[in-house]
Amino acid sequence: MHKALVACRAGVGSSLMLKIKVNEVVKEHKFPIQVEHSSLDGIPGFDGDLVITLVDVAQELSGKGLKQHIIGIKNIVDKNEIYEKLSAFLNN
Amino acid sequence: MLSDIIGKELIQLNVRAKNWEDAIRRGTCPLVTHKKVTPEYVNKIIEIAHTTGPYIVITKHVALPHAPSEFGALDSAIGITTLETPIEFGNEANDPVKYLFCLSAKDSSSHLEVMTELVQLLENEDFFRLLDNAKNPSEITDYIKTIEQ
Repeated sequence: MHKALVACRAGVGSSLMLKIKVNEVVKEHKFPIQVEHSSLDGIPGFDGDLVITLVDVAQELSGKGLKQHIIGIKNIVDKNEIYEKLSAFLNN
Repeated sequence: MLSDIIGKELIQLNVRAKNWEDAIRRGTCPLVTHKKVTPEYVNKIIEIAHTTGPYIVITKHVALPHAPSEFGALDSAIGITTLETPIEFGNEANDPVKYLFCLSAKDSSSHLEVMTELVQLLENEDFFRLLDNAKNPSEITDYIKTIEQ
């Protein structure tokens, strides 16, 4: 089982919506991923292996040497985009 | 429920804005007037956008201006503003922005339920058609109440 953190800057808006969509995709495809969400402040204490966020935040995080794999989503209601990026992560 | 926090006094149709910052100020104006957020909350949204880019543009033509609750979210609310002319926010994938959903989230157990409903609305093409064609805000609130039944 993988553990994913959906994070955005505030932790109350975009990340929550993204978490709702990610959970839908995870359930539909029975992906072995457990999903949590928080603001970016939650990342340092997060012990899972995947961080999911918006694409501009992902670019910023990628320079920070996180141990987690980072996925950036452009359109948070686009389930195809979420599906493709989660599949690519799982098949890696 | 969504209809509890989207009052028609928070909805504005075909607003003219000069640029993205102006659009956020105009979009959040009813929330300040009706004491859902403080003026500092609006400044914080703009400050974060300046320092970190257009993080609030979340899907095609839609911005969700919001900041962390502790910067002045007084009461849970969502204001809806449509722009007369769409505006570039600097988000390559989803520009230009035509619809702003200005969010004030007080920490509460109902927030997840509300956001789940909002996600469903953002996937609803009829809803956007209504936003394009509505003549007054009560058409929007009536529609939201109808789909909640």
